Amino acid sequence: MDAVMDWMVTTPINMLVIGYAWSWPTLESLHFLALCTLMGSLLVMDLRLIGFQRMIPLQAVHSLMPLAIVSFAINFITGVGFLFGDPYTYAANYAFWVKMSLIVLAGLNFLVYFTKVEPKIIHLGPNEPTPPLAKAVGVLSLVFWFGVLSYGRLLPYLGTGGG
Amino acid sequence: MGFLVWLEATGLADWVRMSIPGYPSMIALHALGMAIMVGLSLVLDLRLLGWFAGIPLAALRRFFGLAWIGFGINFVSGSALFSAQATSYIVDVIFMSKMTLVLLGAITAAILQTAVVKSAGTGEPITGGTKAIAAIAIVIWLSAITTGRLTAYL
Repeated sequence: MDAVMDWMVTTPINMLVIGYAWSWPTLESLHFLALCTLMGSLLVMDLRLIGFQRMIPLQAVHSLMPLAIVSFAINFITGVGFLFGDPYTYAANYAFWVKMSLIVLAGLNFLVYFTKVEPKIIHLGPNEPTPPLAKAVGVLSLVFWFGVLSYGRLLPYLGTGGG
Repeated sequence: MGFLVWLEATGLADWVRMSIPGYPSMIALHALGMAIMVGLSLVLDLRLLGWFAGIPLAALRRFFGLAWIGFGINFVSGSALFSAQATSYIVDVIFMSKMTLVLLGAITAAILQTAVVKSAGTGEPITGGTKAIAAIAIVIWLSAITTGRLTAYL
């Protein structure tokens, strides 16, 4: 892993991220904006899955998915930028690894949604209840993503890596 | 300024500045409230502009309520964070710009909430004026987030 980090700091990405005064704050602002749209769309989708606001047809809930995916993509790209900019600090911080693990768990939860839940519920109209698995996936999604948000924000204050 | 000096000397300000959990817990809550308030506001604004048209207007009403809970979390956590460095924040142009933008954002949310409740009740379509406010609200929130983040650099 040391070799990977040594390579990261020699890349042009590292130059771009830490070589200019404006680049890190710009990436951070983008990271924050996209986390808002990600969490906003997830709140509406997951709460409907759990059983709130049943007047919303599932197809309409599904129309939020592109916004969530684009938001995650922005945060993935800006997040990789931070990692290339300062790999040693992140690697030494346990909160970073907790955050990454929670993202993986959220991804697995999404796979369960995509393969097992969505095909069964996508036709559900207004006021139709969702099955127990859909509710569980909705709760886990909110738990994992709010965990990602919390550990992400606490990252500079936790662990020994500083930040 | 006398009030701000007093505020900085309160036990709350001391706790935020000095204790181990003080600053991190307030800053984490502030990110959480931001995600709820701004995230939902942006989704609601986009809905009013015609995105996600399958979501009934009546369903939006509850989400405004949830958004205000996020706003409340940020009012409380933000007040605590402000108390710790009140005299520095008050003269910081970026911070004061952010506060102005947040205030404007909250005003747009209140106006849009009223418009949604009215439309959901009467079945009348969203007016052009309401759509214009929703578009302005998106710009306000994006600016508020950016200036808020940049506050850390000043």
